[in-house]
Amino acid sequence: MIFKAVLRVVSKLLIPPIMLFALYVQFHGDFGPGGGFQAGVIFASAFILYALIFGIDNARKVAPAWATRTLLSLGLLLYASVGVAGILLGGNFLDYSVLAEDPVIGQHLGITLIEFGVGATVSGAMITIFFIFAHQDR
Amino acid sequence: MFAGASAAILVTMALALFRAIRGPTIYDRILAVNAFGTLTVVLIAVHGFLAGRPEFLDIALVYALINFIATIAVTKYVKFSHLGHPSGEDERGDV
Repeated sequence: MIFKAVLRVVSKLLIPPIMLFALYVQFHGDFGPGGGFQAGVIFASAFILYALIFGIDNARKVAPAWATRTLLSLGLLLYASVGVAGILLGGNFLDYSVLAEDPVIGQHLGITLIEFGVGATVSGAMITIFFIFAHQDR
Repeated sequence: MFAGASAAILVTMALALFRAIRGPTIYDRILAVNAFGTLTVVLIAVHGFLAGRPEFLDIALVYALINFIATIAVTKYVKFSHLGHPSGEDERGDV
């Protein structure tokens, strides 16, 4: 696939906008369609496109197994720690209102962090699933 | 006007779907599914303006990107019968 000039050039042109659009969906999720899960899937689809065109080995150099593992775990850790921080600050699990002095600012902060954790976990999981699928021998 | 455009797009989608089901070769089906995806992008955009919610354009953009990647993946799988080649660089595997 790396010798197909059209696919190579078009995918190189498209991968940065896909990642930028994933970040837009991530941080604009409060006001429009989107959120952490969708952003994670779009972000992972950039890596999947790279792996399809340039081969699994090159894609594994960009996103090594330890990196996707860390991304998966850090997202879950961020989600859980925001939840536990709510308990420690005197609220319920995943209670965003106690995260800041002003409950509205606390809810904004909490939902942003939660969505960021979801996005990291989902993108790591999607990249890992694709690599496992593509590694299988027939 | 948007309602008429939606109806016309739906008719075209039905024609593309018919070709995807009946297509004699696999490439007819791939092309028909790709055209179906492109028409879905247009339908989402038109429906966004029909319903007065232009933020549907975000969804249409995502659909266009995913449709492009899916077409490449299906074409690669049809041609090479495999999405990649084993590398096995990490001794603990992928997970």
